[in-house]
Formats: sequence, structure tokens, C-alpha cells
Amino acid sequence: MDADSLQQAVAELRPTLLRIARLQLRNDAWAEDAVSETLVSALEAAGRFGGQSQLKTWVVGILKHKIIDQFRRCGREISIEAAVEAAQVETFDELFTQDGHRVNEPLNWGDPEAAYSRVQFFEILQLCVEQLPATLARVFMMREWLEWDTAQICKEADISATNCFVMLHRARMRLRECLETRWFAIESAA
Amino acid sequence: MMFRWLRITCRQAQVLLSQGQDRALGPLETLRLRLHLTACDWCSKVARHFRLLSQAVRRIGS
Repeated sequence: MDADSLQQAVAELRPTLLRIARLQLRNDAWAEDAVSETLVSALEAAGRFGGQSQLKTWVVGILKHKIIDQFRRCGREISIEAAVEAAQVETFDELFTQDGHRVNEPLNWGDPEAAYSRVQFFEILQLCVEQLPATLARVFMMREWLEWDTAQICKEADISATNCFVMLHRARMRLRECLETRWFAIESAA
Repeated sequence: MMFRWLRITCRQAQVLLSQGQDRALGPLETLRLRLHLTACDWCSKVARHFRLLSQAVRRIGS
């Protein structure tokens, strides 16, 4: 790929990068900053892109580092929001009977690779993450997308391990319900 | 009943399933969860769903 083509291909990734950055950072200005820095870094380092991986994968790798930089710059704001979210209580009473057993049988999600191969599945997944409260989404994405361990999340968000586990559980429960309702129930009925 | 203290509910099992993705569960927690999953197909499905959710999120942007 020549320099002009590479520059154009990187620029075309901007909407995708912005959506991912918004999903993780949950702040439009921070996401814009992270993506702009990513595009500049990618173009500066274009000579080092050997084409061994997909361009998108390479640029998303750069974006992850820029998102982490953004978290570090905005640490205080994130920790205040996390403290507020950690104080929320969510019981999921609608999912369980009074004696603690599930009300409804979860659906069979079938072959995950069939879902992963569909662009629409990831659209729905991102929609479900967007519907989470901002801090819950941030903590969940730190754990599952940035693949941080909980000690690192607790340090960056300034929350206790107990609060971190509770927030991750709340996010998983909500996302499981959302994916089941918005994707797997519709797919199994089709 | 002799082993009543080992029993947990679906609500408790699903908390442990989630936490098991983030930390090492203790021996008693592991035993309680395994016993529950042996008897509860619904929570076994949720366990699989949590793993699939994690895999799917890691593929965002790839």
C-alpha cells in the first residue's frame, strides 16, 4: 500500500474508531481527542505498518493506548463518577423469585461464531453497551475490552475491589439480558 | 438436610459466575457453585452466556 492509499485508508477508519472510543470513554470530547491522537500516531508510524495484520486491527491497537492515556488525564473526573455509580443498588428482582431462583429459562444462544460473523450482532452489542450507565460501561470495557485486571481498574477508577466486582456483575447481567432480548430472541424466532 | 449449607440460589450463583471471571473464587465458593451448576441447567446457560459476552466484547474493533 502506498503512502496516499494508507493515509486515506486510515482516515476512513475514523467513524469506527470514534464509535469504539465513545463506547469506552463515554465522553464525546475525550473520544474526539483519543481518535485524533490515534490518527496522527498511525500516520506518523505508517512506515512501520508492515501489513502483517489488518490495518484496522493495527490502528485499533494504537487507539487502545490513546484511550488509556485519556483515562490517566481524566482520572479525577472518572473516579468521582465511579464513586457515585458504586453507591447505586441494583437487585435484578425482576429476574429472580423471592427464594432466589430464576423466573425464566435463559435462551440457548447457539453457535457463537455464527453471531460473531454478523456485523449486525456487533451493532446490537455496542448498542447494549451504550445503554449502560457511563461508569458501568467504562469499568466493564476496561475489564473486557482493554483486558485490565481488577486491581488496575480499581486504581484507575479509584474504587474498592468489592465495588468493582459489583459493577462488573451489574454490567454483565444487563448486557446478557439486552443481547438475549435484542439479538438471540429475534434470531431464534426467525 | 446435611448439606444444606452448601446450597446456593440462582441469584447467588450468578454473582459467583460473574466474579469468577474477575478473581479466583475460594474453595468453598467453587464447591458451592459447582454443586449448583450440576443441578441447574439455567445457571449453566448463564455461565456460558457470560463467557460468550466476554469473547464478543474482546472482538469489538477486530
